[in-house]
Amino acid sequence: MDRRRALALFVNTTVAFIGSALSAVLGAFALGPSRAWQSARWVRAGALTDLTPNVPVPRVLVISRQDGWYRERARETVFLVWDGDKSIHALSATCTHLGCQVRWDTDTTNFRCPCHGGVFDAQGHVVSGPPPRPLDRIEARLDPSGADVLVRL
Amino acid sequence: MKFRRSASGLGEWLQSRTGFRGARHALLDEQLPPGTGWFFTLGSVLLALLGVQLLTGAFLTLYYAPTPDHAYDSIRFIVSTAPGRIVHGLHHYGSSFIVVAIVLHMLRVVAFGSYKPPREATWLSGLALFGLVLAFSLTGYLLPWDQRAYWATVVTINVAKLTPLAGELAAGVLRGGDSIGALTLTRWYAVHVIFLPALLILLVVLHVVLMRRHGISGPVRSRPGPMTPFYPWQAARDTAVVAVVLATMAAFAWNGAPPLEGRADPTDATYVPRPEWYFLGLFQLLKYFPGKWEVVGGMVVPGLAAAFLILLPWLDRGPERNPRKRPAVLLAVAIGMAGVVTLTTLGWRDSPRNREATAWTLREIGGRTLVQQTGCARCHSEEGLADSLEALTSSRGTEWLAGHVADPEMIAPGLREPPARRDEREVAAIVAYVHRLARQPYPAIPRETEVAGAIFARFCVGCHTIDADGGKDGPDLSAIGSKRDQDTLRRIITHPTSVNPDAEMPAFGKRLTPAELDAISRYLAARR
Ligand code: HEM
Ligand code: FES
Repeated sequence: MDRRRALALFVNTTVAFIGSALSAVLGAFALGPSRAWQSARWVRAGALTDLTPNVPVPRVLVISRQDGWYRERARETVFLVWDGDKSIHALSATCTHLGCQVRWDTDTTNFRCPCHGGVFDAQGHVVSGPPPRPLDRIEARLDPSGADVLVRL
Repeated sequence: MKFRRSASGLGEWLQSRTGFRGARHALLDEQLPPGTGWFFTLGSVLLALLGVQLLTGAFLTLYYAPTPDHAYDSIRFIVSTAPGRIVHGLHHYGSSFIVVAIVLHMLRVVAFGSYKPPREATWLSGLALFGLVLAFSLTGYLLPWDQRAYWATVVTINVAKLTPLAGELAAGVLRGGDSIGALTLTRWYAVHVIFLPALLILLVVLHVVLMRRHGISGPVRSRPGPMTPFYPWQAARDTAVVAVVLATMAAFAWNGAPPLEGRADPTDATYVPRPEWYFLGLFQLLKYFPGKWEVVGGMVVPGLAAAFLILLPWLDRGPERNPRKRPAVLLAVAIGMAGVVTLTTLGWRDSPRNREATAWTLREIGGRTLVQQTGCARCHSEEGLADSLEALTSSRGTEWLAGHVADPEMIAPGLREPPARRDEREVAAIVAYVHRLARQPYPAIPRETEVAGAIFARFCVGCHTIDADGGKDGPDLSAIGSKRDQDTLRRIITHPTSVNPDAEMPAFGKRLTPAELDAISRYLAARR
């Protein structure tokens, strides 16, 4: 190989190496902030004494979520449903059709959506109307002392 | 063989459609005079550094938020991942590398007399670039919105007020509002990421076009021999130097920029501003011209230096380029450089190491022990109701934190049993710890120091100082071990008057357990 070609090879490979190293770092930086979102955690949603067996009770929870560098304070309505004993579950109040907030109708013992007339039963299953799937279930449990309800949001 | 032919076929096709070989030829086959050597690589180093700076800067804007509420947290978020730390580090150290490279480049141009006709316009466009680089670093310095950023900007704006006749106007334009705040930040951000880069690109193109128009000046005494094309001969030298410079910079950037200081706090009048190192000389100069003479240090001297540089091609006119035969110019520049170096060194020595610096203070270390005793981890843990303290990603002001530590229930309701109550001093130590933790991971510190730290933070810090943190009523204890042995120290702490009948310090024999008395006296005796 003559001197000219050796130098050209040196220039080309070095420049290519610098270019790829820089692209790799910048690419990794642009694509993956690993802690952008924080995982769900258990939040206290109310005291057991506030609940009536088998009647969904709405609770507005203020949860703070980490969104990158931003701490967002989101309000979220959940319905707590207690079987009167040890079992408890929670349903999201967000209608699975287009996202309006459903209400509990004590007369018909149904959830009703004000927007397009979706109806769900106490377990969250669709009874009628446009919603394509049951209300979202949210994990819920009693805290170890048995006095408080925790939901995972 | 077949591949070769199709590759050259592709080349022909591209050539016929784009004419790229012409561009390649124009860019790379510049003819250089014989003897153009290593000194002429500095311009390419600058091009490479500016390229890295533009790229890292552009990517940083993906996450940076230019508001006082979020700027600081967004930088902390950026440096919370390894790639972010490196990108941020490259951008941080890049500015220093550029300043060094640009000064060396200018010195080369001066030494070689390369500003002489017909290259005066190249020289002037270079000076404009130098000004731009300084403007970049000034505006970029504010963006992290930490103490260092805020207070350096206060000084910058005060210097701008010295502008003759239009001082208030200049300061107002820089501030954007009545005080340094949200409007200042967005304004400096826009200048830093839109206006200056646009200008920079224009000027770099102009500079390089002018350089190419006149050809490179080459060695001082022209040598016989044929011209050589830039690629690959000079390009190989350029690439070698660029690779070394970038590798050095990557080594600096690997662990990221120095940690942020506390979030900007306009009420903290005790903070001593400290500019970026290459402004320390100017900063020092200001100190020699107090009061109404300030304008001399802030405006007149730098103005004269700038005027000298602008006029240089007309002050040094003859065709002679050999530095040995231009002693006056060389002497003037040497004196100027000596002045800059001296002022910078003095400035470096004069500016107090900020208490923030890098070492954890004893109070902060003590705060960690108190946190453990207080039970913050009941909520602040991986599985708990709140992020672990190490992972907290948003920072809170001192007041909020103090309130929360004193009474977590008040700010984060829903806790079943509130943790132990803490008195004012303990709260201060915990707040100091959490604030420091937000910027710097906790280092390995011996358990004994942690215990001593908690005692110091609870009982001593009100009157005594260690490592520039603490009260002034009692003596500074930073090096007390060189004066007193452990036994004497223990007796003083237990019962001060037993050693010195006039001592005004309260006795701690009843408030500290024997183990605690041992721990704190042993720690102090070891401080020399
Ligand atoms: C952003 C900063 C700058 C960049 C990217 C840059 C780039 C370059 C490049 C690539 C060259 C070719 C020759 C060489 O590398 O020595 C050059 C030449 C030159 N530069 Fe710069 N430069 C910058 C700043 C400056 C400054 C601050 C000055 C002086 C005030 C200056 C004055 C000159 C002059 C007079 C030449 C012609 C030298 C000759 O023909 O020998 N440049 N510049
Ligand atoms: S959004 Fe509830 S029915 Fe359409």
